Amino acid sequence: MAEKGAAGVAPDDRCAIGISFGNSYSSIACTIDDSPVVIANEDGDRQIPTVLSYVDGEEYTGNQAKALLVRNPKNTVVAFKDFLGQEFKSIDPTHCHAAAHPEDKNGVISFTIQDKAEGEPSTLSVSEISTRYLRRLVQSASDYIGKKVTSAVVTVPTNFSEKQREALTKAAQDADLEILQLINEPIASVLAYDARPEAKLEDKIIVVADLGGTRSDVAVIASRGGLYTLLATAHDYEFAGVQLDKVLMDHFAKEFMKKNANVDPRENARSLAKLKAESEATKKALSIGTNANFSVESLAEGIDFQMTINRLRYETIARKVFDGFNRLVESVVKKAGLDVLDIDEVILSGGTSHTPRIATNLRSIFPGTTNILAPSTNPSALNPSELQARGAALQASLIQEYESDDIDQSTHPAVTTVKHISNAVGVLTLSEDGETFTPVIAPETAVPARRTVHVAAPKDGGSVLIKVVEGGTHIKVTKPEPKPKENGTKEDEDEDSDFDSEEEEEEHREKVWKIGSTLAEAAIKDIKKGGKVEVTITVANDLSVTITAREVGGKGGVRGTLKAP
Amino acid sequence: PSLPEGWAAEKDFKPIGAITASTQRTIEPVGPHFLAHARRARHKRTFSEDDRI
Repeated sequence: MAEKGAAGVAPDDRCAIGISFGNSYSSIACTIDDSPVVIANEDGDRQIPTVLSYVDGEEYTGNQAKALLVRNPKNTVVAFKDFLGQEFKSIDPTHCHAAAHPEDKNGVISFTIQDKAEGEPSTLSVSEISTRYLRRLVQSASDYIGKKVTSAVVTVPTNFSEKQREALTKAAQDADLEILQLINEPIASVLAYDARPEAKLEDKIIVVADLGGTRSDVAVIASRGGLYTLLATAHDYEFAGVQLDKVLMDHFAKEFMKKNANVDPRENARSLAKLKAESEATKKALSIGTNANFSVESLAEGIDFQMTINRLRYETIARKVFDGFNRLVESVVKKAGLDVLDIDEVILSGGTSHTPRIATNLRSIFPGTTNILAPSTNPSALNPSELQARGAALQASLIQEYESDDIDQSTHPAVTTVKHISNAVGVLTLSEDGETFTPVIAPETAVPARRTVHVAAPKDGGSVLIKVVEGGTHIKVTKPEPKPKENGTKEDEDEDSDFDSEEEEEEHREKVWKIGSTLAEAAIKDIKKGGKVEVTITVANDLSVTITAREVGGKGGVRGTLKAP
Repeated sequence: PSLPEGWAAEKDFKPIGAITASTQRTIEPVGPHFLAHARRARHKRTFSEDDRI
């Protein structure tokens, strides 16, 4: 958003990509014929570890650098992205423990590493580390596209401060990369789904659970006519991929110690590094298969170690962490003032989202109507690791023809901050069980907004009264009769409650519309038998409302305007 | 609902209320629909004007 025009590139000379820059992994993506493609680097990796390492003056990134954590931890930098633009005292260096340590150098977070073949070690700021890493990412993209990449859209967490955004923009500029725009990570994931040709434009409430390596971020988003509004976010550093690695590390270490008493591979730095690397690999294998191998040559004191683990066992020992993800998702829905019944879609994003159990758990939290987009629960789901890079690439292709001034002005708060209606606006229709509310414009829709619905007129035709009203939702809880539960509803049938027989009181919860104040009435006369009425409601910037109603296929119709409140 | 007997209004339209509640929120500046919105906002066009172009 805060694009500083210094490194502006003329729109004609641009070659733009999308970058998802993470603490653990980064990805690069471009668009080919308007569809996003995630680019593999020269090692063939699409998820490129955010690691930078030096051996004998030679620079390594990605998986090559990650492998060097065992032999060369001191000259290897990991998990540095969240340090950009931060004060030294506010960072958490836990994840750097097994690699180069961050230090405070005149108020700048720095690392001291031997990056030259000879001579003294260099002290490099986190910004310089990021610049070098980004340069390599961009190089990989340029090699693939066959053209020099000049610009990029980069994804950032929603709680990234303005200072961090500026620091990232600066680090990119130093790598000769123009930042077109910084976009929020959850929004990039939503865009990756919404831009698919088969996607339908709908008003819906989406939860994006971005489960990463060192952090998990969950966001609730209102998607209204393709405009996205963040309703609530939460960030968690206790429940993420590394905690799952830890569970496996402890498990394998204990098994190792059963066979080799008094040798704890966690007590030696090098053994620990090997244990960690292989545990992560085993975890990934368990997301794909139901059995995985763990084997490390010379794990500790020259002893090889090998064993297998099945998914069920892993899910048992990792249950605590999985439960943490559930609580995190539930807490954000609550924070947004919503109920799980209000959620239409859950998008699982981030590397940890490949875990089948997490999707299964979320499936049981949400009602059957909620679409859970994860590979194990939905065959049409996209790869969770690729979503953000795809979203960024799409946004990059949309805005690369714009002048950077245009982008700045369009993303200005004057444009982005608008009123959102709190209640739904809809029409009342009559059915057997009285008046029902048909929402036309959903709550939390940004104005100006325009929506059209077709409502059926009474069977015999005739004249009708269109009543436009406000509506709010609330959750109706009905406790069924104590003994039989013949509710006649098909609510809970698709819950696969294998072993989460929670203490549900078998109550039936449903979302109902509460009819609010009437806004206007309009009459449509002499409708044909079986006819329909088209109602279009437009809410303007100042919340004035224009209503038009006419019979489908008919002429004329009624039109009226309500003044702004 | 059916039109009740004797309901009448000027041009068959009777305004009664106005939207009661709204909040100021920020839309995410991402996606094709946002860009369309930004274009309308900057040129101060309405939906129907935009449709005609």
